[in-house]
Amino acid sequence: MITTPENKNKRSSINSNNPMPKYIRRSILALSIDDPILEKKSFDSWADAIILDFSKKSHCNWQQDILSRMPSAIAIAAKGDAEIFIRIDNDFAISELEATVFPGIAGIILKGAHSAADIQRVSSALDSLELSRGILANSIEIDIEVNNAACTWNLLEIARSSARVGIFLLNEQELCANLGIQTQASLPFDPLEYIKSELITVATSIGGQAVGMSYPLSLATDSIDAETLRKGILRARDTGFKGAVCPHPDWINLCNSGFRPSEEEANYYVKVIEVFAEGIKRGMASVPIDGKMIDVPVDLRAKVYLEWAKRAKARDAEKHQAHQKP
Amino acid sequence: MKKILHHRRSWMIVPAHDPKLADTIAQYKPDVVVLDLEYSVAPKYKEQARANLVKTVSTIATDDIEIFVRIDKASRWADVDAAMHRGLTGIIFCGVDEESEITEIDALINTKEKERGIDPGHIELVIILESAKGFWNLSEILQASPRLSAVGVGRIDLTMQLGPVPQDEFRLFRYLMTRTLVAGKMHGKQLLGAMWRPDSRGGVANQESTKLAAQQAKLMGYTGCICATPEQVNPMNLGFLP
Repeated sequence: MITTPENKNKRSSINSNNPMPKYIRRSILALSIDDPILEKKSFDSWADAIILDFSKKSHCNWQQDILSRMPSAIAIAAKGDAEIFIRIDNDFAISELEATVFPGIAGIILKGAHSAADIQRVSSALDSLELSRGILANSIEIDIEVNNAACTWNLLEIARSSARVGIFLLNEQELCANLGIQTQASLPFDPLEYIKSELITVATSIGGQAVGMSYPLSLATDSIDAETLRKGILRARDTGFKGAVCPHPDWINLCNSGFRPSEEEANYYVKVIEVFAEGIKRGMASVPIDGKMIDVPVDLRAKVYLEWAKRAKARDAEKHQAHQKP
Repeated sequence: MKKILHHRRSWMIVPAHDPKLADTIAQYKPDVVVLDLEYSVAPKYKEQARANLVKTVSTIATDDIEIFVRIDKASRWADVDAAMHRGLTGIIFCGVDEESEITEIDALINTKEKERGIDPGHIELVIILESAKGFWNLSEILQASPRLSAVGVGRIDLTMQLGPVPQDEFRLFRYLMTRTLVAGKMHGKQLLGAMWRPDSRGGVANQESTKLAAQQAKLMGYTGCICATPEQVNPMNLGFLP
């Protein structure tokens, strides 16, 4: 068995009971391996993660075609230090995995799954591919793109179906279409509010995380001004999402700075930890700061947020380092 | 599985014993007439309502009108027996808690179809959820019979059971509407319900509020709703207009 450092994903070593986000995947960008400027787009994007899509050519053996091109596509897309994922269609999962799984990918994004059985089938296929292609056993994640009613209904079973399951990505446009929900974003409330709540809860319960955006930006197709987007990202973060799939590269910088504690929040939490530690030394169970009561849970949250900020900063440093390479 | 009929927007409830129901139907022209054997019929008129159903159905049945009978869960066996005649499109069963209740009613309908010369599988079954248990068992319930064509959210009984105090909006109700939508779509059923507001809901909603509730429900993937009063038929038809 060969352990390849390339396919280690950027996950936290802390266990599932720890509230610290497991991955720093604030911005996820989808690109096609057919894109003639894939390398430039990937490198210039500064995305934390890139999803590689592919099309099946009808005039040739598509599997051979993808098989021959995918390893180099993975390598060039990863030059900016983004984690690389391959999007797989659940209906053709086995043949698509055969053509796309190579060292260097962090995981696959499984789109269109309906049940736990779908995940188990994919997981078994990955077991074999990891073995035959020299990839560390059980290192390839299965991430779930939620886009249909059955997947939504069976979320918990799906989440528990394999230790490979990592993140859940909400494809709101497709899910709304599947549920018959209008996508003009004209409701005074988020029609997917409860689905999002469940998604975040289920993902967190297995030590994973959810990726999504707040309403109505989640359904937006027009361009959005930076301030609106910044507020939408903050709402998404405070709902429990840890990142978003960016429909446009313009979103990436704002997602990278938004899906993490801000400098101001980090400074406040440093103060919280210091003042609370002083209070404990003086035999107090809680202390006031600026009129707010600080006790054990607040102190814990402060530590988590600071760790989160630190890891986000480290992730940015990794990407900067990759961008310095000739 | 039956084809979903998206034109069933307004499901007007009329007491099955109402002597003026033919006039009411002619006046309001709902997509679906629901002859009620449940809440809108006082106990002393139940027997009369059941006894008149054959005549009532044959009198009002036309090519333009679909007729359903809403049965009372407590007397469902007698109600189904009374309702099953040519001209009937389906049965509405409220307050379903579990799969076995559907299996049982499905078997009863099977038997009555054979006895009454109705094409096998012709009679549809529509359920209205009124309990926490029903919501939790929804996926199993929806798979219990191929007759099951639509599922609705029964707000009043549900609110009574779960006990939320309505504030600016029914947030709990919206959660249940979402849950029902997901299960209903997963199994290919029509979704019945409207986005009512606490201060303007069900039987007390005016026409404007009813239309708005229907429009918002339509945006949420719902395509029809029970009308507590005949006056709600037109706003429901407009609100759910495809």
